[in-house]
Amino acid sequence: MSFELNKRLAARRDPLPTAAEVDPVTASIIRGALETVCFEAATHLGRAASSPIINQSNERNASIIDANGRLALGSIGTPHLTFVTQLTVRYGLENLDDYDWGPGDVFLGNDPDYGGGHLPDYNVYAPVYDDHGELVLVQALQAHQGDTGGKDPGGFTLEATDIFTEGLAIPCVKLVHRGEKRKDIIKLIERNNRFATFSGDLAAMISGVQMSVRLLQEIIRKWGTDVVKAAVNYNIEHTEARFREEVANWPDGTHEATVFIDHDTQGTKDIKVHLSCDIKGDQLTVDLTGTDDRQELVGVWNTFGNSRGYIMTQLAAMVDPAIIKNEGLFNAVDIIIPENCIAHPPPNKPAALGSFHPACEITEAVCVALSELVPGRAAPQVYKIGMPNAVIGFDQHGMWMDQGVDARSMDVSAVQGIDGWGSCPAALGNLLLSQAEDAESRFPIINLSREMTTDAGGAGQWRGQPGSLNVKQVLEPTSAMAWMVSAAHPLRGMCGGDDGSSYTNHFEVGTPNEYQIDLAVSAQLPANAVIAYQHGGGAGFGPACLRDPEAVKEDVLDEYVSLGAARDKYGVVLTGTLEEYDLEVDFVATTKLREAMKAAITKHKSAETARGAGQ
Amino acid sequence: MSYRVGIDIGGTFTDFALLKGEQVILHKNLSTPADRSLGVMNGLQTLAEKEGLTLSDFLGQCDAIVHGTTVADNTLIEMNGAVTGLITTEGFRDEVEYRRGFKEDIWDVRLEPPKPITPRRRRLTVPERVLFDGSVHKALNEDAVREACRRLKKQNVESVAVSLLFSFVSPVHELRVAEILAEELPGVPVSLSHQVLPRSPEYDRTSTTVVNAYVAPRVTDYLEKLVSRLQEGGYRHQLMVMQASGGVMTKEYIEGSPIRVLASGPAGGVIGSAHVGGAKGFEHLLCVDMGGTSYDMSLVLNGAAPAVAGWNMHHRNLVGVPMVQVETLGAGGGSICHVKNGEVQVGPASAGSEPGPICYGKGGTQPTVTDALLMLGMLSVDAEFAGGSFSLSAEGVSEAFQAIANDMDAVVGVDYGPEDAAFDCWRLVNANMIQAVRRTTAGKGIDPKDMVMLAYGGNGPAFAAVHADALGIRKVLVPKASPTFSALGTLVAKPSIDEERSFTCSAQAPDLDKLKTLWQELGERAAKYFADANFSLDKVSANYQVNMRYRGQNWALTFDMHSAPGLDDLSFVDDSLGAKALAAFNERHMQEFGHVREGELPEIIGVRLKTTVDTPAPIVSQGFNATAVTATPPKTRRANLGEGFQPTPVFRGSDLVPGCVVTGPAIIAETFTTIVVYPGWTARVDDAGDYEMFRL
Repeated sequence: MSFELNKRLAARRDPLPTAAEVDPVTASIIRGALETVCFEAATHLGRAASSPIINQSNERNASIIDANGRLALGSIGTPHLTFVTQLTVRYGLENLDDYDWGPGDVFLGNDPDYGGGHLPDYNVYAPVYDDHGELVLVQALQAHQGDTGGKDPGGFTLEATDIFTEGLAIPCVKLVHRGEKRKDIIKLIERNNRFATFSGDLAAMISGVQMSVRLLQEIIRKWGTDVVKAAVNYNIEHTEARFREEVANWPDGTHEATVFIDHDTQGTKDIKVHLSCDIKGDQLTVDLTGTDDRQELVGVWNTFGNSRGYIMTQLAAMVDPAIIKNEGLFNAVDIIIPENCIAHPPPNKPAALGSFHPACEITEAVCVALSELVPGRAAPQVYKIGMPNAVIGFDQHGMWMDQGVDARSMDVSAVQGIDGWGSCPAALGNLLLSQAEDAESRFPIINLSREMTTDAGGAGQWRGQPGSLNVKQVLEPTSAMAWMVSAAHPLRGMCGGDDGSSYTNHFEVGTPNEYQIDLAVSAQLPANAVIAYQHGGGAGFGPACLRDPEAVKEDVLDEYVSLGAARDKYGVVLTGTLEEYDLEVDFVATTKLREAMKAAITKHKSAETARGAGQ
Repeated sequence: MSYRVGIDIGGTFTDFALLKGEQVILHKNLSTPADRSLGVMNGLQTLAEKEGLTLSDFLGQCDAIVHGTTVADNTLIEMNGAVTGLITTEGFRDEVEYRRGFKEDIWDVRLEPPKPITPRRRRLTVPERVLFDGSVHKALNEDAVREACRRLKKQNVESVAVSLLFSFVSPVHELRVAEILAEELPGVPVSLSHQVLPRSPEYDRTSTTVVNAYVAPRVTDYLEKLVSRLQEGGYRHQLMVMQASGGVMTKEYIEGSPIRVLASGPAGGVIGSAHVGGAKGFEHLLCVDMGGTSYDMSLVLNGAAPAVAGWNMHHRNLVGVPMVQVETLGAGGGSICHVKNGEVQVGPASAGSEPGPICYGKGGTQPTVTDALLMLGMLSVDAEFAGGSFSLSAEGVSEAFQAIANDMDAVVGVDYGPEDAAFDCWRLVNANMIQAVRRTTAGKGIDPKDMVMLAYGGNGPAFAAVHADALGIRKVLVPKASPTFSALGTLVAKPSIDEERSFTCSAQAPDLDKLKTLWQELGERAAKYFADANFSLDKVSANYQVNMRYRGQNWALTFDMHSAPGLDDLSFVDDSLGAKALAAFNERHMQEFGHVREGELPEIIGVRLKTTVDTPAPIVSQGFNATAVTATPPKTRRANLGEGFQPTPVFRGSDLVPGCVVTGPAIIAETFTTIVVYPGWTARVDDAGDYEMFRL
């Protein structure tokens, strides 16, 4: 529980000792087998669990770690979990004698100070031994739980100043000993959780890893321990080499970015994430020096494990997507995160909200820094959502939560050549967002609207997807919690594209008591109260005045863009009306307007340059 | 003489299976893409001639013509369906664009969006709201519906989908919208979500309804054209159409929900497999169909191919109707072998049939899996290929694999030639296919080693035994009719209707009256369509099922509550139903997920009724009564069946009669396929002339 521990957990690990050599094809075949096991574990959990955040928003991930603690394979799930999971396992591995590891065991860890992300992300993992008793692999299955037993239902406490306020922190505990469930421990953990279906979710995680262990043992038996170890080594080395190849194609130099969070949960403004990406040959160094380290900040502390994981999430999106996701990525990148900053907090800091912010700003900053080098892949893999409206109530079954994973559109930025599309950035593409008909059958709510808002996408040569306005009515008194950011500092546009639109949030809409949440709220909503959450839009790429005028016309017909914005943002003049579907581009007027806009921009830039020179 | 004809139209060939008494006659002719009904009529003409009849006399003696069509699939592949509009509940315009957040590749930010069937301008909303219990929260604004009609008309919409929230509980608003559409847009087909997919949630139902509206005019036009040609030709019965659920039904039923024919071609093959496997005594089958571009996998369990409704993504659109589960991997004979980033890779790009593999000699320059088989000696330039339509050529094949070897030289660092490269491509495509099978089986909690593999398609039998080996499977079936299996399947498939209704209630104390009413409604619907098709209702059998899950689970388990002949036996809906449902659920949950929850009870979330009519099907022989004879190969050739190159016996399929035994390593050249008997395996021909391969 110290910076020293973080250093040890993050340190590069040796390859697995093996006498075998493996050819590339065999290594690829074994990798495929491991990937299939991960797929099966994640599928098992998604089908068996009850919590919507696991089985609908799919916040779960299966990974295989090797006996040295290296990520051998991260598979289906969310990248934001894939790249964190191995540090919790490494803590267990460091202390395997103390925890009496053996065949048939299953462990659980979630402690942010022992390699974890935040408390809700339970990491259930199980060692895989060969027939001679040698530890070869570890199957990990991570999933976000609906509650963690802290002060507030759901595990997010806006004013928390320590981890203990947020719930039960578990560095490592054994759930199953040599194949037998430890009922005393499981009962203890279940007792510290308000969520009505938690015990079923935990049972699904345990049975998921147990199934995977059996499959991995079969693979080890089939190929032999040494060959499997050699294949893991080969694949990690291959990934490192492939990533380095991509970096080597980028010109040497240092690229910096600064991204701000509007405020912490108590209103302290402009929380800064600063990073630099330094490229020398095939070596990339990401350095977060300069990031905010004010110790009095509240709610914006992202664990060390999470920070390095979120850096990798963005980097993986900016290279060939076929590169296999494993420890080789971390071996290829030097990551510097200064102690005591918000991306590497001192022990016992709260961690729940940090997984939203600054975690996403770290990701965004990586994207901004590298956007000029990799414009074709410069889309931030973020959710700039603050803490989305968590509507929480209790019924005869226990706690329920409609936690804002509704179908929606948010933060889908354009990249060079492709407009933002769909609901979320690609990294969140394994989600199956919640549906009104399912939610309303279970919870006392009515979803009134969730459509995209015209002009709520950043303008650009390629346009950001508009954000959606999700409006819902609660039919019974409930509590609702939210933390709003990304209004003053919305998602950044790339390479001259406009920023995404801001997030806004209103409670008790349409009543004399209606109010906008600018900072944070933990409210009691009366029956029939309406809440309206405007998601931020994706950012644009490239200057809007370079967008094909015909594409702008199509956007207006589809009401992504208004007639006014077509003129004011894009410099496109249209004739006809939307009602009659007879819009046409007036090319002469458009050319004239765009020339005037460009002249104005040039004049503005010249004035700024002159001011800068004068200073 | 009375006949039954099964027809399956593929990209290249139209396949026919003619059932004449107990005899099955197979036929293939070229498809006619411009008007596929012509290819059907050409084949029927040939079959008539084989029977010594005029087309009119032949069709007059046909009791049933059963047809599997790819017209819906082609419409989605080519994206040339109807100009489609959507009317939905105010506030829910964008569900089909959100796709519940789903993207096909989470690592690829350059993935292009799917082409929308209903761009946003044609997705219009109307004020109205029904709640989860069917009550009307907000009345339908009819003026808004009429305005939506005006706007759709302005955009020349040819087909309209209507999907309103909770319409599957109370369709009152959807039905009124349909009435207004009929007034405002007369003649424009309308797809109502509560009819196309009467269940939650809204994205699944809306997407399915939109796809239905998109393909409906094409499917209807095609079927009407075919029916007209058949009637002109002298056919006097209803045309039966294959559904993705694995059953067949009349054109009239299909026209109510044409989306049911999507992916029906592969379903036919699976149904054929179930029939053949079952007749030979194998109830659990892993069916693998490898053609030129894809490797299709499916499961037959307890003698049946279960159709599953749910998250079926087809051509990037969600289609939620029941479908026989066929998983497809982009790996076939035409898959291209190449080197990328220091790795040998196979596919997913395919050379297709034009230009095809290099060895087809049609201008192909990129090495494919078929070329690798030629390099390894599993195929030969000496033998006729694809039923004798052409011979293979070795020209350019070795050079292409030499280029791969050159690219890999730096990585491998040892002497690595074209045969090594071809061998590695073969290993890789095997590994890909084996992993795909594992995903298909283990993801469902099934261990493939407990199954029998049934291989078909042009390339399936060349790979089957080596895959079986890796999966622990000890027996492989290769039916003689395997190259036309989908046509055979349409003939085997029973007329069936498989529909469900959503309704949530406690399993401990279920609302028996409501459950009974829902099953009755489903039964009445089935009875109507079967009666219209002139099926005797006493030949109908019914399978009553429930969908259940723990509260909060996103996926339901579906299982039988009662099976009975006829449609009027609801006596099982009594006070014991809840307890029986709980017991069945616990057993299935333990089987699939390895645990049952303590202190939690599942809930019923819907009922389903599967009805089928018994119709004649081809009789499949079984057994090994013929005297065993060790076959003598007419020749050998140099081949590598996984253990290095060695002289390998090559048999002609036409020489092998029931009782013949072939011990691996060996190669059997059949008319439309090549069967590889790998080392350690033995093939024998059963009394029906089908091959059974088993591991020694």
